[in-house]
Amino acid sequence: MEQYTQTLTLLKANLKRDWIKITAWLIVLVGVFVAVAAKFDGIYGTTKQIGAISSTLRSKAMVALIGSVPDGHLTTAIIFTSEMAVFWGLFIIIFNYSLAVGSSRGQEESGLTEMVLGGHPVGRLAPLMAAALELLIANGLFALITGAGTMIANLPGSDINGTWLSAVAIAAVGWAFGMIALVFSQLVADSHNVSMYNYAFLGIVYLIRMMTDVSNPDYTWISPLGWLEKTEIYTNNNWWPVVMLAALGVVAFFGAVALNANRDIDAGIIHVNPGSRRSRFLRGPATLLVWNQKSLTIFWVVGMAVLGASYGSVFDSIGKIFNTSPTIQKVLGQTAVRHIEQSQVLSFIGLLGIIFSLLAVIAGVMIVNRLVTEERRGYLQMVMTKPQGRTYILAVYVVFGLILAAGLLFVALVSAMGAGNVVMKHPIAFKYFWQTFVSNLPAIAVFMALMVGLVGIYPRLRSLVWAYLGISFLISYFGNLMDLSKSVLKISPYYWTKKVPIESINTTPLIWMLVIAAVLIVIGFVGYKNRDLES
Amino acid sequence: MNKMENRMILDVQHLKKNFGKVHALTDVNLQLHSGEVLGFIGPNGAGKSTTIRAILGLIKETSGSVTVFGEDAWKDSVKIHKNLAYVPGDVYLWPNLTGGQTIDMLLRMSGQKHTEKTDDLIKEFKLDTSKKNRTYSKGNRQKVALIAACSTDVDLYIFDEPTSGLDPLNELIFQQRVAELKEQGKSVLLSSHILSEVEKMCDTISIIREGKVIETGSLESMQHLTRNVVAVKTASPVDGLDKTEGVHQLTFKNDQHTIAEFTVDSDKIGAVMEILTKCTILQLKTTPPTLEDLFLRYYHSDNGQKVGE
Repeated sequence: MEQYTQTLTLLKANLKRDWIKITAWLIVLVGVFVAVAAKFDGIYGTTKQIGAISSTLRSKAMVALIGSVPDGHLTTAIIFTSEMAVFWGLFIIIFNYSLAVGSSRGQEESGLTEMVLGGHPVGRLAPLMAAALELLIANGLFALITGAGTMIANLPGSDINGTWLSAVAIAAVGWAFGMIALVFSQLVADSHNVSMYNYAFLGIVYLIRMMTDVSNPDYTWISPLGWLEKTEIYTNNNWWPVVMLAALGVVAFFGAVALNANRDIDAGIIHVNPGSRRSRFLRGPATLLVWNQKSLTIFWVVGMAVLGASYGSVFDSIGKIFNTSPTIQKVLGQTAVRHIEQSQVLSFIGLLGIIFSLLAVIAGVMIVNRLVTEERRGYLQMVMTKPQGRTYILAVYVVFGLILAAGLLFVALVSAMGAGNVVMKHPIAFKYFWQTFVSNLPAIAVFMALMVGLVGIYPRLRSLVWAYLGISFLISYFGNLMDLSKSVLKISPYYWTKKVPIESINTTPLIWMLVIAAVLIVIGFVGYKNRDLES
Repeated sequence: MNKMENRMILDVQHLKKNFGKVHALTDVNLQLHSGEVLGFIGPNGAGKSTTIRAILGLIKETSGSVTVFGEDAWKDSVKIHKNLAYVPGDVYLWPNLTGGQTIDMLLRMSGQKHTEKTDDLIKEFKLDTSKKNRTYSKGNRQKVALIAACSTDVDLYIFDEPTSGLDPLNELIFQQRVAELKEQGKSVLLSSHILSEVEKMCDTISIIREGKVIETGSLESMQHLTRNVVAVKTASPVDGLDKTEGVHQLTFKNDQHTIAEFTVDSDKIGAVMEILTKCTILQLKTTPPTLEDLFLRYYHSDNGQKVGE
């Protein structure tokens, strides 16, 4: 036990360092979970609504995405847990990964562990134990607050046992994966690689879960992530998977302890393969940016494609929810029903266009923002002291950002179309997606241009872009509900395109947006050429 | 070739730079000619890096002028950078690249190629180029930048505290490389607060303090500002030394006054030697002035001495 001396002191220090992070994650994770639970009765409260969503949830696409759904009659509570469990499992795993890596390898990398272990009477295994306890506290808090919150939401068809099982199971999967992250922290010597191993592992178990759920759910037991589904919340309330997750976590923790006891500080068990000594590819700012952004770009493209497909896979139920009654169908006639159904889906596509373009803006703006990050971190001084003009360097980031944003919007819409047309009897024509795509481009340009302008003139105010983006999102989402005046609504670039693709594009405001974007970009470039570079 | 010899490579005239209300540089003057190694010394925060950043066109001067190769450092930075290599004091490199990839890229960005010389430098500095930059220590990151800069064939090299992360062995390699550059007629601007380094490599020295260059000249021309440390043993007592002009901090190590230690102004050493010779010198050790002494004279404001006093 001597090797665990001072664990509690370290735990306190960890909590002091991470409490903002933990609080923020918990607020978002618990808050959204409980808020959705509270709203769910309104969305899937009636038998009709449940019937419509049931067939969607049981479609292969949805099973692949969120896991299998129990047979028989579904209650609102079962639908809720089916939709949320795997997703929340993923989110809480990401949260645990970030905490676990920060408290183990990240801390070691920063030299803190060496200082603590080398110069103070602290047990060698104390940092590891402190990390494990910190995760236990964070996940414990999640389970407590989520359980209590979901109780209050009181979903139809829920029971106390199931509600607490759901909260504890999600927390358990988070903790277990956090413990596995501690194992990876021992294996490789830098936190970046630890994260790569972590996410690769998560990707593999998610894929196993996906493939087994679609083919034969019995095999889903292979994937620890799949154990979440095996709790069968609100149907059988099986606590065994929770016990298994806890056992997995404990085994992983002792595995990490065993590995830690046999390695030097700052060393890893596995040596990461050395990289290339030469490069033919890297030759200037453009290739450098592509190189640095390649993983993130792939991540975005895949993510947007999956998101698009998952929205697309519910297209048929969008129309159905409102027109299931055979009487209405008879009264209106086949064509009219089809027409209503199509316009429902089209307005949904218009909404998707806004959501996708918001995400695309985030990706694109982050690229331009990176130029300032690189400046602040001192990377840029190596480039700027080469015969490379500032205008060119800024242009590289802006063009890459614009192409990425436009590309992501396109990918998401096309994959929504692909998935949607598989599930729908009457496919939606490509031209509607194309219109949605084109009409959202000027909005992307406006946000990007605002960022460029700020990078050139006053980089400290860059967060204005995020504020504007957030306000625009809120305005287009809740503007009508909150009864805001038209002049306020017009602030959002999305106000001008919200009727597309039901109505055709009104070009005048879009041209104005492009003009404003062009002016901002010119201001940005002139400013960037004339300002001091920081570092 | 002769007219090349004294070509002005770098000319900084009355450079002034304000960051908002902060006066970072008040009056900086620097001249560097072809084939010359200029040492730029001063304590931390004196404005060395700010001056270099102005020379590199990263920041714009508030007033005064900075010309490199006769071109304006701010306006014509791209043109100037074609013929310049720079190693910053704190080297930060993209964490996702290996050292080798970084070197190749830095060379290509300057329109240069990975040559045999590059390989030699990598070998000499013993850099494992297959590792990612994120795993490098400060010294190794500095090596990456130094290797790229030294294998770049340009006319002007700017090193901002280049050896602050290097061990003595690598420091020596760096000094040899600078000597080589000098032989090839290249110009080097070397900023440092490590004085022995500047002393070994530089022809001319500029001293900066609180944003102002307060002294420029060759090391020899600054010797009148410095004092030799003398330890002497004589046969007969040396008296009257304390009254001699230019002798300071005199202490006798024995009662007979035959063993003494003192400092003497460099330009008064002849007169002092005459006195000592009269007492028959048995042992004599003089330590030449280092820049440290020079430096201390400038920065020790507590003793109230003025420069050159």
